[in-house]
Amino acid sequence: MKPPETYHSVLHQNSQLPVADPPAVRRHVAGLLKRHRGTFSAVVLLNSVAALAALVGPQVLGQIVEGVSNGLTSAEVNRLTLIFAVALIVQTIFTRWARLRAAILGEWILADLREDLIKRAVGLPLGVVERAGTGDLVSRATTDVDRLAWAVRMAVPEMTIALVTGLLVGGALILTAPPLALAWLLAAPPIVIASRWYFRRAPNAYRAETTTYTMVNAAVAETVDGGRTVEAYRLGPERVRLTDARIARWVRWERYTLWLRCRYFPAIEISYFLPTAGVLFLGGVFYAQGTVTLSQVTAAVLYTQMLVEPIDILLSWMDELQSGQASLARLVGVHEIPDPEVDWETEPASEEIEARNVRFAYREGRDVLHGVDLDVEPGTRIAIVGPSGAGKSTLGRLLAGIHGPRTGHVDMGGVALSGLPVETVRKHVALVTQEHHVFVGSLRDNVRLARPDADDDALFESLRAVDAQEWAMALPDGLDTLVGAGAHKLTPAQAQQVALARLVLADPHTLVLDEATSLLDPRAARHLERSLAAVLDGRTVVAIAHRLHTAHDADVVAVVEDGMVTEYGSHDELVAAGGAYAELWRSWTDEN
Amino acid sequence: MPLLKNLPREDPGTPNLTGVWPFLLWIARQQWRTLALGITWGIVWMLAAAAVPVGLGRGITAISEDDMQGVVLWSSVVLVLGIVSAVSGILRHQMAVANWIGAASRIQQLVARQAADLGGDLPKQVATGEVVAVSASDVERIGSAFDVTARMAGAIVSYIAVAIVMVFVSPLLGAVVIVGVPLTALAIAPLVKPLERRESAQRARFGETTELAADTVAGLRVLRGIGGEELFLRRFNEKSGEVRQAAVGTARIRSILDALQVALPGAFLVAVTWIGAQLALTGELTVGQLVTFYGFAAFLVLPLRTVTETAHKWTSARVAARRVIAILSLERQHPDPIDPVSEPGPGDLVDGESGFRVERGHVTALVSGEPHDATAVLERLGGYVPGDVTVAGAPLADLDREVLRRRILVQDKDPIVFAGTVGEFLDVPMSGRVTASAALTSADADEIINGLPDGLASELPERGRTLSGGQRQRLALARSLVADPEFLLLDEPTSAVDAHTEIRIAQQFEGARQGLATVIVTTSPLLLDHADVVALLVDGRVVATGRHRELLRTEPRYRAVVLRDDETLAGLGGAE
Repeated sequence: MKPPETYHSVLHQNSQLPVADPPAVRRHVAGLLKRHRGTFSAVVLLNSVAALAALVGPQVLGQIVEGVSNGLTSAEVNRLTLIFAVALIVQTIFTRWARLRAAILGEWILADLREDLIKRAVGLPLGVVERAGTGDLVSRATTDVDRLAWAVRMAVPEMTIALVTGLLVGGALILTAPPLALAWLLAAPPIVIASRWYFRRAPNAYRAETTTYTMVNAAVAETVDGGRTVEAYRLGPERVRLTDARIARWVRWERYTLWLRCRYFPAIEISYFLPTAGVLFLGGVFYAQGTVTLSQVTAAVLYTQMLVEPIDILLSWMDELQSGQASLARLVGVHEIPDPEVDWETEPASEEIEARNVRFAYREGRDVLHGVDLDVEPGTRIAIVGPSGAGKSTLGRLLAGIHGPRTGHVDMGGVALSGLPVETVRKHVALVTQEHHVFVGSLRDNVRLARPDADDDALFESLRAVDAQEWAMALPDGLDTLVGAGAHKLTPAQAQQVALARLVLADPHTLVLDEATSLLDPRAARHLERSLAAVLDGRTVVAIAHRLHTAHDADVVAVVEDGMVTEYGSHDELVAAGGAYAELWRSWTDEN
Repeated sequence: MPLLKNLPREDPGTPNLTGVWPFLLWIARQQWRTLALGITWGIVWMLAAAAVPVGLGRGITAISEDDMQGVVLWSSVVLVLGIVSAVSGILRHQMAVANWIGAASRIQQLVARQAADLGGDLPKQVATGEVVAVSASDVERIGSAFDVTARMAGAIVSYIAVAIVMVFVSPLLGAVVIVGVPLTALAIAPLVKPLERRESAQRARFGETTELAADTVAGLRVLRGIGGEELFLRRFNEKSGEVRQAAVGTARIRSILDALQVALPGAFLVAVTWIGAQLALTGELTVGQLVTFYGFAAFLVLPLRTVTETAHKWTSARVAARRVIAILSLERQHPDPIDPVSEPGPGDLVDGESGFRVERGHVTALVSGEPHDATAVLERLGGYVPGDVTVAGAPLADLDREVLRRRILVQDKDPIVFAGTVGEFLDVPMSGRVTASAALTSADADEIINGLPDGLASELPERGRTLSGGQRQRLALARSLVADPEFLLLDEPTSAVDAHTEIRIAQQFEGARQGLATVIVTTSPLLLDHADVVALLVDGRVVATGRHRELLRTEPRYRAVVLRDDETLAGLGGAE
């Protein structure tokens, strides 16, 4: 049977961020174990004691079986049973310790993994974040960490324990009755061959199965979530058809993985019985020859059965480990993102931003800016207007130092902005976009990002500057009110005000506002812009806007069309010049 | 393998929703064949596994008696039992998978049909999260309850069989094992419950770090752009540390459980060994039988575990079924008319409460200083909220829902974009009069399609997240134009679109609406200038109608709303 479709069609991850190769992942794992080598040795040691104690039972039973025909006394039975009981107590105590240490090791490694990841993430170059988007990073910080948590919590301790137990039981079997251990040679080849066959196919197949199952749920969730849209556009039958199609796709993968198991499971299970039957048979043969005793045969039969469990555990966690490895590769990949070379020493000599002959492309060969020249004089308010897709936002990002131009230069006080570290740039210039993120936490934490030491007066001051003081004061716990997902939900407009309040508190001398008030209703937006203007008096403001009143209020208007500045001047100059801007303005205000 | 080939079913059937057990029974009846087969194979499988200690014991006895024929016979028996167990095991597994997927997919289908049928009424009655929880986890719970049933049957039969064999061989030791195994299982249970409760309470905290990580990373642009990395890193590390400590607490509990799982069955095994050895000394038991009993004591843990698992799974299946029934029993808040009027002919759409009239062949703009007021009018006109609305003189409430949705389309402020290609997005039930490409041009959305990597075949993610607000609005407008309803009611369709594009849309989109009725709720002068009629809504009533320019001149309240001119506002003493 073949997979129902290519793995790629289900599992494609067009990730812009690097994924580590196996050697790098191995190095990382070795590093982690080295950090916790004390605990790791303890786990192995404690577990060895527990496994050794577990070997006593079969020996005791073997002695009894042997002794029954050789005049074993009741007192000797009591003594043997006591040994069994003591061994059990030892096994219990050490199992407890070993499990606990193994779990603690797992938790430390997990904590290290997630803390290292976030530490690296908050230090990523802004250009990388902008290009790759945060979606991929979020999925690495959540889905991959979760998947690893499962692997690290369950697979790593279980497999370590199974490996130690398996080796010791196997060793005990060889020591107890070397000739009988040969029976395992029957089982080894089929187990190895079947497992290799299975594990070449299983991990991707199961991932495809899970992914397609998630897609079934996603379809239902979307139908519910967009219920009104479904009803309005009469999409009901279409949504049902889609869900059924996704169920069909998921079931096809279920059939494929079932087929894999249908070949693998019986092969493995029969392989487990081969040595059991073999030990019994060889036991009979060698006992008749006098090579082994009855006690050795009995213990060997029981050890053989005991050996099945650890091998089974090792095999059953194998795919878990493989998927954990894939997730780990994505986490380690984040650490491999290079930091650009930046100049930590130089400070801009002045506040003036100068863009000359700037060209820029997100994708090679497709320039979005075609030679832009723009001077941003300190203290002026520039409005950038133009149709969507003209390159306004891109220009804003270049002026804020997030991307460097392909050709030409964007300098502040004679220094290329893109050559400075974010930490330097943001002291001078900051960008606020439509994308408004409210962090889960208090309103206070949300506003005081740039100045963690800011007092309440300063916080209220900044909230007042963006017309947000009124609702902020009305919150149940004031500045301490928990906001964000799962807590007090701020409206999009309020979120945008919070974003602007952060900026006011950060107080850079130049602000780039990309549609920063677009989510407020138009009248509130204009009011906010005016109160903001009062606070930002003397600051340089570059406002990218689709509402013309923003342009009307600015000192200078730059019209951007097709990646070029086509008109430049004050509002009155441009209206008088009678170009595209003037025409737009006329239809807006209907002044003629 | 013909198994699972018939899934998903053409029709998932009509479930019995009168109660939890009737519902679960109904599902069981739908798939009784795989259930029965699963139970049969489950019994064969467990019996084969139960018989292995017998083969081993007899083998040991044969060895001790130098009976070479017996050795060959019993080692072959063990091998055959292994093969039977492996084959029946996989057949049982096939049926188990068929049972769980059969039940799970059927319920998924039922939920999907219910969601599609109730449409906008469903999210009003239950949170989306609740339905998602049903489709994601409750369905699985019910499915796995059916999965475990086959094993449960095998467990019961094998337990009884082993009990009979043991009592037959040695009444004393038999009684010890039959009573002892459940007793050790029961002895663990009261210890396990409180430990598991504490464990799950602590485990829930793990999700907190994940949420915090997602939140921090999602806001990375803000953190890197403005600052605060240290603040958030410290916060995350604190939470991560707390969670790590909580998890270690969980592990402490879990390790006690693990140790108990070793200690209790182990103690029982010690007891069996001791009693068995004493019996063997007196000759009441052969050494082979001693080995068999040792094997039985170890084996019986498995059927017992299956029984506990079954009890556990059926308990959660019952809870899950209750939730599924709750979703499937929901009905429309405003039931359809019992006796719907036949389709009224062409005519105007009128909202009595506000006095707003939608005329055919016109683009009517509805202007309000309070966006909610205008939305409320659209809600009534769209029949989402009952009101005094007539279409061509007939009350809207008497209209068949299918007819209503075909003739009147309300485009919400924030239209939902489903995951899929752009082409699929535009493929809605339509009149056929307006083609997708014509609609895209009218909505000025050609440029968006050109910018996408694969044009119309480009995939959009859930809710169209990769698009800007303005792009989403233009695509949504194109979709509404393709649907081409008699009455198209647009709630602020261009609020996120830049002025340049808005003006192009205003000029172009009327072409696609020729001869039909269109309403636009807006305050943008660019759109208003192109409207045939403009109605001003104040306090929920239409107070003025006319052309845009005319109203600008004659109606100061209109001027105040549309130009947002503070001076005008001041002159009016704050009147809105």
